[in-house]
Amino acid sequence: MLPLSLLKTAQGHPMLVELKNGETYNGHLVNCDTWMNIHLREVICTSKDGDRFWRMPECYIRGNTIKYLRVPDEVIDKVQEETTKTRTDRRPPGVGRGRGRGSADSGGRTGRGAGRGQDDGGRGMAAGRGRSGLGGRGNIGRGGVRGRG
Amino acid sequence: MAAASTLESLVDQMISVITNDGRNIVGILKGFDQATNIILDESHERVYSTREGVQQLVLGLYIIRGDNISVVGELDEDLDSNLDLSTVKAHPLKPVIH
Amino acid sequence: MLFFSYFKELVGKEVTVELKNDLAIRGILHSVDQYLNIKLEHTRVVDQEKYPHMLSVRNCFIRGSVVRYVQLPPDGVDIDILHDATRREARGS
Repeated sequence: MLPLSLLKTAQGHPMLVELKNGETYNGHLVNCDTWMNIHLREVICTSKDGDRFWRMPECYIRGNTIKYLRVPDEVIDKVQEETTKTRTDRRPPGVGRGRGRGSADSGGRTGRGAGRGQDDGGRGMAAGRGRSGLGGRGNIGRGGVRGRG
Repeated sequence: MAAASTLESLVDQMISVITNDGRNIVGILKGFDQATNIILDESHERVYSTREGVQQLVLGLYIIRGDNISVVGELDEDLDSNLDLSTVKAHPLKPVIH
Repeated sequence: MLFFSYFKELVGKEVTVELKNDLAIRGILHSVDQYLNIKLEHTRVVDQEKYPHMLSVRNCFIRGSVVRYVQLPPDGVDIDILHDATRREARGS
């Protein structure tokens, strides 16, 4: 699976982007291109040290300034759905073989999600990095505010 | 001709990534491209310090940009499970200076 | 292309790759690509006391852009062949 396909699939989802300069941006992905340039909406920017925040309705980020992106876990399953669908479309009937995550697997994911809480406040700066942002399930503001404490 | 130097053989395996800013992130490699951008699933960061053992932080699903990657190592799960991370102390790795 | 070709000749030999973060990794050269990304097998970090970060890694991929040096095996260079290849490269043929 290509990283840029995953990113494309993440359109409409919340995500956290850390830039090479240490700033983080929490927002919903509107669009992206093959250079990894991205367009976010409803953005909260957090400074490198994690103690200053800016809210902005939208922003564009040039791809080559990005260090990494954190996307919601479930997005990877959606990419697979799409690739499996196109694959089975092309394949003659009866040859298709089940692949990908079964329901047992997604159960595992839920379990893991619960385990995530431990990460809160794990490290002074950790909150500043906005890790908790996505854990908040869409409430992107909260991760940032907790960083202050 | 040498075998192509790609990450193909590591897909769906546990890998340990060292990033240019000195972090160590462990997770399952789900994909990569020409630029060494990678998808890491179920990832966590191993935080090294000299005062206490290695701390693990859960990160989740990550896309790491290739130009921020130094090393991608195949994690030998036998070796890793025999490793008591709580006793491992070290300075964090230095960032890469180009 | 010269260095790419040169490194391909070294496949199977033991090299030490020093990175731009001072980490040095020794291992058997498994493969190289056009970006001079390097794959090593049977790896060992040179100063494991100081760098226990790769204790459970035995095979790794090193991004060409972070390599500072590659220490070659003593028998890794055939000077005459390298001279010829260099001249050919310089002539652009």
